[in-house]
Amino acid sequence: MASVLTLRQLRKSYRESDGSLLDVIHINQLSLAQGDQVALVGQSGSGKSTLLNLIAGIQLPDAGEILVNDTDVTKLPEAKRDRFRAANIGYIFQTFNLLQGFTALENVLLGQLFAHDSNGGDRAVELLKTVGLGKRLHHKPSALSIGEQQRVAIARALVNAPPLVLADEPTGSLDTKNGEAVLELMRRVCADGKHTLLLVTHDPQMMRSFERVIPLEDLR
Amino acid sequence: MNLLTIIIKNMRQRALATTLTTVSVALAVALTVAIVHIKRGMEDRFQQSTVGYEMVVGAKGSPLQLVLNTVFNLDISPGNIPWSVVEKLRTDKRVKAAVPFSVGDNYHGFRIIGTTDEFGEAFGYRLAAGRWFNFSKDALRDAFFEANERAHERIAKEHGVEPAGPAVHYHAASEAVIGATVARETGLRMGQTFIAAHGLEAAPDAEQHTDNPWTVVGILAATGTAADRGLYINLDSFYHIEGHEVRDSTKAGATQTGPRKAEEKDTDPDPGQVSAVALKLKSPVYALGLYREINDGADAMAAFPAVEVRKLFSIVGNIDLILLAQAILIGIVAGVAIAVSIYNSMSERRREIAILRALGARRGMIFAIVVLEAMSICFIGAVLGIMVGHVIVAGANTVLHRVSGFTVEPLSFQSVELLIIAGCIVLGALSGIGPAARAYRTEVAEHLAPMT
Repeated sequence: MASVLTLRQLRKSYRESDGSLLDVIHINQLSLAQGDQVALVGQSGSGKSTLLNLIAGIQLPDAGEILVNDTDVTKLPEAKRDRFRAANIGYIFQTFNLLQGFTALENVLLGQLFAHDSNGGDRAVELLKTVGLGKRLHHKPSALSIGEQQRVAIARALVNAPPLVLADEPTGSLDTKNGEAVLELMRRVCADGKHTLLLVTHDPQMMRSFERVIPLEDLR
Repeated sequence: MNLLTIIIKNMRQRALATTLTTVSVALAVALTVAIVHIKRGMEDRFQQSTVGYEMVVGAKGSPLQLVLNTVFNLDISPGNIPWSVVEKLRTDKRVKAAVPFSVGDNYHGFRIIGTTDEFGEAFGYRLAAGRWFNFSKDALRDAFFEANERAHERIAKEHGVEPAGPAVHYHAASEAVIGATVARETGLRMGQTFIAAHGLEAAPDAEQHTDNPWTVVGILAATGTAADRGLYINLDSFYHIEGHEVRDSTKAGATQTGPRKAEEKDTDPDPGQVSAVALKLKSPVYALGLYREINDGADAMAAFPAVEVRKLFSIVGNIDLILLAQAILIGIVAGVAIAVSIYNSMSERRREIAILRALGARRGMIFAIVVLEAMSICFIGAVLGIMVGHVIVAGANTVLHRVSGFTVEPLSFQSVELLIIAGCIVLGALSGIGPAARAYRTEVAEHLAPMT
């Protein structure tokens, strides 16, 4: 099966205040196929969010390759990288990162705007119905519960039918019950759409629901 | 969903700051529009009012005062000129029409102007109703003579001599054609009569000429000029009014105390005086020569209304420049306020910008959103300002019309307003550049991290 995500010899380090280099990401090889659902685990501060930012092209590595559907995002100029991210990568954040002035539907449509997807609101509405928010389309985030807000974020991440979905501690702000429900929903929707899901977490509860769990340090 | 939606949402989220900055732009634009409109409107009306008045001749003094008094019914008369000057001009082969004017009375603050029935035709004033008053030179001579007789009687009484009574009894046909504004504001209608008060402006204690009422025989069509505010009476009836001296009492003969003979009325070379005479020439080539001749003489002064109006507006123009500079300064301050307001909001909006960037918005798009937001504020402010500016012009128009008779069209759109809108959009773009640059530089990863 064709690889959706391939990381090779990926390095990222930060310069500390004393001038020394802190090696944050050091991955020799990682490959995910279409439809894979993988939990990448690591302690707080181990570079999980940095890794997702590198894969999304939000940050650039010091060295290495990041191939998403055979396109090396590290080689793309910034503007093309942004457009590539909009069309090919869905990103779910721990704190949802919804725009407070926009309704649930508008937040999802924002995802389409930057991907230049002209299919309009049909898929956005369909996705919001899929995540159980068919009657909350025009509610602003402040009028939604925490769990509902994360469902909007899931719909937004999937609206462009991206081959790769990245999730950064997606249940970190939710209670156990809500967290399980959201995780189950996310996995189901990704499976239905054959989206590859790469989730990073330090939550053992979440790890248990994944067949494939990779500790970050094992990738060195 | 498009960029405009994002811009509108951003503006709504900062509703108070957006409203205040929009209002400040609107105020600057409203002030500019009002100044430009009123100035241009007044200039046009002043120039329009001078059409037909190729030259005015009056007493030596200020040519601007002469023009304001004769053409615009403003200011006081600089003095009188002998009737002989009028006669000389009426027979001058270069002159097509010489229309005399005499002023000194008012009706409810509107000037009463003694003139001849040539006035309407010479200067293109049409009647909306009625007819022009009747005027004859003979009646004018009688009126002059009678007025002189009254003056002699008064002087005789002052010298203790019993006056012998008037040698000529003149019966004035006191008729008037009134301007459109006068008709509207005083309610005078055709066939109604009115009584003049002494003086050019209304005063509570002014002497009323109750013994000499005028009958309205015509109403002028509205012109938007000073003529709308005038009551035009036959010149002879003007001199029928008690107190209207027609000869300079310091001149030889004026102080004689005895009654004059009736025969003198047709032979007197200088029977009276008028305030001014307006000329239409047979050809513009005669203008300069005649102007010099009159000004070289001792009795009168000539002035070109169009030239005096230009001079007046060159003086007024400096005041306009100061007002315009103030408006532009307000505009710049508004621009700075927009820049500061958006720039300060950037701290709160950096997370939102980071989210948009994470969703795929390019840096250029973020830059454009912020600049377009500032431009939108300025554009809305400009449009609002133009509307408010026209409301100000409408208000000013009421005052201007009451004071000067001139009207400025409040609803007319001038091409300069498009320039003002364009200028505001440029101002918005400039105001937005600083905050947009800050937004452009936003570090995505740093601002996406969960807030603690």
